[in-house]
Order: sequence, then structure tokens, then C-alpha cells
Amino acid sequence: MIVPRSLKIDSAHAAVRIEGVAKAYRRGASSTAVLDQVSLSIDRGECAFLVGPSGSGKTTLLSILGCILTADRGTVRIFGQETTAMNPARRAALRLAEIGFVFQRFHLIRGLSASANVAVPLALRGVAPKVARRRAVELLEEVGLGDKIDAHPNNLSAGQCQRVALARALAGEPRLILADEPTASLDAANGADVMALLQKLAKKDGRTVIVVTHDARIFSFADRIFRVDSGRATEDASPYDQCSLAKAG
Amino acid sequence: MWSIALRTLIADRGKLLTALVGVIFSVVLVNVQGGLFFGLIRKASLLVEHGEADVWVGHRNMHNVDFPRDVPRRWIHRVRAVPGVRRAEAYLVGFADMTLPSGGFEGVVVVGVDRASLLGGAWNVAQGRPEDVLENDAIVLDECENEKLEYPRIGDVRELNHRRARVVAKTNGVMGFLVAPYVFTTYERAGQYLRMPPDRSSYFLVQLEPGADAEAVCADIRRQIPELDAFPKREYGWISVSFWMTRTGLGISFGAATLLGLLVGMIMVAQTLYALVLDRLGEFGTLKAMGARERHVYTILLVQASIMALAGSIAGLALVSGIQRFYSTPQAPIVVPWWLSAGSCLLVLVICLVSSLLPYQRVRKLDPMMVLQS
Repeated sequence: MIVPRSLKIDSAHAAVRIEGVAKAYRRGASSTAVLDQVSLSIDRGECAFLVGPSGSGKTTLLSILGCILTADRGTVRIFGQETTAMNPARRAALRLAEIGFVFQRFHLIRGLSASANVAVPLALRGVAPKVARRRAVELLEEVGLGDKIDAHPNNLSAGQCQRVALARALAGEPRLILADEPTASLDAANGADVMALLQKLAKKDGRTVIVVTHDARIFSFADRIFRVDSGRATEDASPYDQCSLAKAG
Repeated sequence: MWSIALRTLIADRGKLLTALVGVIFSVVLVNVQGGLFFGLIRKASLLVEHGEADVWVGHRNMHNVDFPRDVPRRWIHRVRAVPGVRRAEAYLVGFADMTLPSGGFEGVVVVGVDRASLLGGAWNVAQGRPEDVLENDAIVLDECENEKLEYPRIGDVRELNHRRARVVAKTNGVMGFLVAPYVFTTYERAGQYLRMPPDRSSYFLVQLEPGADAEAVCADIRRQIPELDAFPKREYGWISVSFWMTRTGLGISFGAATLLGLLVGMIMVAQTLYALVLDRLGEFGTLKAMGARERHVYTILLVQASIMALAGSIAGLALVSGIQRFYSTPQAPIVVPWWLSAGSCLLVLVICLVSSLLPYQRVRKLDPMMVLQS
């Protein structure tokens, strides 16, 4: 078994560091443990994948890293800030300032054009509309949608929607990007394109990327892979091996 | 936030239209109901409003211009002697029966005015001249009462309490609160029609010296002739209006209908905003996941509610203007004062903002985790 590298890493370089995290969902009197004693650390600028079967707790872990959920036990540090003790407003502020999300189903706002969708995080930060639009147009051009600036989500393909979502995640210049099954709604070619784009844009500015996926076709984009299963997260074989395994499979 | 709110609202045209219908409905209902109410209630003080008198003097505790109690006419000299009074003229108001060509009768309100000044006489004369009332047996009727009075023409002869009356002129739109038409004539002839002794009078209409204080003159009249009451024009008009408001429950019934309209409008707006939010829970969840705070979410809802209120108010007022233009008649006048329009728009805005609290509660409880679970 590979020793989790996270435990060896100096926390000053860690974008994300969690230790002994546990989470259970309660429904009435019953309680279902989803995460138990999860510890991992991801460096700044790394691209880490959380993989595992459905129901293994990947999305719960991503939600905790994204300050959407709080852990029942353990510590969660995002760029050195302990988030478990934060109130909802502070967690929201941290999300807005430091984290960009890419969702499986894109979650674009229907009434807004592609550029307006990309500008949403900037609007939430109070950036002037003209400045926000200019930045949105730049990002759309970077993701290859320079000709779809005023197109609405209804008129875009799935791949194009995910590119818009990617541009939106980058708009606020977050240091951490969390992607939940970003290729699940895309075909192989589009999935690879989106991942290549995500890797390129994130790496360019040294952003940390954490991707939840069970799509083995994109494992090659990962610097590190954590397998989440039975409530535990362990660093798995090297991405190269995973990729080889996936291809062989 | 404004841009997001506006664009997402416009994107859902069906729901926006439904909400606008609710707002328009509220604005139209408040203004038309209010306009009908003010139009109707204004009739209660029609003689006072158009009487050209600064002060109305009548029996003590007089409470309605159409229902006077007679007072000795000789007291007019005492009224004329009050400082500040420039002119005071006797005025008669009473009920009589008009005989119709078909053999039927119609109750009318006879108004008798001073021959020399014609103070308190007919206005809006559409056929003939006001001074034609000085001719023998002359009476002035209103065109809008044609149907009730079996289409009298100029020169036609009728009977009022079995005395000859000849139509010499016609007004337009001079219709009182009572169903009985006004018949204008001279003071002396009115006394004959009403079978009232010549030494009695219903009111004394007073015009003041320039700069005289109406309240002070009224107080002087009351002090010098305790059997009389005196009110400035505006106050007596309001007393006449209050008579009908308090004794008939008119205000309550109009008010209740208006309130009901507002309530229906509010429910429609609230329901539509709620439906809009339910439809877009995922989008609100996305915003919250991205870090939107409570104020962001509420700003979006407030802006959407305000847009609905503003657009609905403008469309509603335009519709009210059209209704007023085409459906306001002397029988059922729609009088919409500016403050009613402004007030209704303000009220609708408040209602829309309050209505937005309901969907806000729904969004407030929304867990952004839903975005990752879908």
C-alpha cells in the first residue's frame, strides 16, 4: 500500500489539508456514517482526483472541501484557514473568494447568456458590470467560445455548457477549483477536451484542482488520485499506472 | 445582482405575465373602485362644490345639503350684518313630484336660487342659457336625466306638485347622489313648487369679502344667531359626504371590495414569485454554492418583485386611464385623484416586496449541497 504523501507534506504548501474528518448523515434516530477518519493533503498547484464507487462519500468529501458541508469531527484547512468552526456566512465568503466550482450538470442560469453566466461570481463580488463582462468575454475566448458570448445555455451543446461552467469557475480567479464529475454528462472527446482545458487553465495560474470522478478515461489528467471507499480515503497508485490500468481495462 | 434578477425574470415570460396580471388586476381594481367611489361620493356635495358660495349657512346641526331644515328667511339680514360677509342670498332645496307625459310621476329635488345673482344656480348649461331660468315658469333640467323624465325638450311643459313648469335650459352631468333629478328654478318659484311659505329658506349662501377668514366668519354667524350653523364650503361638502359614508356603510363596502382585490393581487404575485423560485431552486442553489449570501439572494427577489410592481403599475394605470376615458359617465363617474394612483402604486410595491418574503424563506432554507447531489 502506498503511504499517503499528504502526511509528509509541509502544511505551508498545502492548499487543502484535512485530518481525521468524519461525517454521518442523520435521518430521525438512525445515522449513516459516510466518512470516517479521512486525512489527506493536496499541494498548491496540484490536480488531485477523488475516485471511488457510487455512494462511497466522494461528493460528501468534495462538499466538505468546498465549505458547503461541515465535518462532524476532524479539521479542515483551506489555504491555512480552519473551516469547521466557521459560521455559514464566513464559509460562503471563503467559497466566493477562494473556490470555483464545476458541476456535473453545469448548473448554468437559464435566463443568462454565456457571458452573463461567467460574470455571476464577479457580480457576487460586486465587480462593476462592464468590467465583469470584459473578463467574462476574455475567459470565454480562452475556452474556445469566443463566438458564443451572447448565446443562452439552451442553444449550447453539453460540451459548450461545461466550457462555460469552467470559465465561470475561473472568473473569480479562485485558488482552488472543485469539479464534481465534470465529464459525466459529456462524450469521451468532449470530456477529454474539457479536462485538458481545465488542466491547462488551472496550471497556467498555479491553481489547485480537485476532481471527483469515476471516469477512468480522464485519470491521466491527475497528478494524484485518492480512492474513497467505505468512508476512508487512501492515495492510490500513480496516475500513470491508473491510466494504464484503465486503458488495459 | 440587478442584471441577474432582471434577465432571469424576463427569461420566464409566462410566469412574469401571470405576476403582471396580478399586479395590473390590483392596480386597476383599486383605482377603478376608488374612482367610482370618489365619483359617487362627490355627487353628495355637488351643490356645495358648484354653489359658488364661500360659506353655507343653515339650520343648526345641518348634515346634508340635499336634506335641509328650513329657517326664517328674515335671518338673512343678520347674516349680512356679520363682518366679512360681502353677499348672502337665500337658497331653497326640497323635494317635489314631477308629472310625466305618460301619466307617471318622478321625484325631483327642486333648487331655488336668488333671481338677481343666480348664486348656486345651474352650471354646465348645454342647451339654453343660465339666465333663461328668469322666464315665466322656467325650470332647468339635466340631459342625463332624460330617460327618467321621459325625454323633455326645450319648451316642453311639465307639472311640479301640480304647478306649471316649462323647460327652458338643460345642463349636462349635473346629477346628485340621490336618484331624484335636480330641477333648478328661481327662489320664489321653488317656494311655490315646494309649497313652502315665502318667509322660509333652506340655506343662506354667503360670499366673503376678499381676505376674510371663512372660519372666523362662520364662528361669528354661529355666535350671533345660535339657531344657525355655518360652515366653509369645503367643510360642508365633507359633512354631506360623511353623511352618506357613515349612514350607508358605502365606504366599508367599497373599501372591502378594494381590499379583496388587493388581496387577490397579492396572492397572485406571491404565488408567482414562489413558483418562479421553485422553478429555479437549482439556480439559487448554484448561487449559494458559489458563495452568494443572504443579501444577494434577497436582492434578486426584491428586484424581481419591484420590477413586477413597477411594470404592473404602469400597465395598470394605463388601463385605468382607458377605462376612465371610455366608461366614466355622469351617472357613474370615475374620478381618480392623483394621490389615489400614486398610493395604489406604492401599496402594490409594498405588497410585492412583502410577497417576496415567502419565496425568500424557501431559498433561505435551501441547502447548496443540492447542487452537488443532482
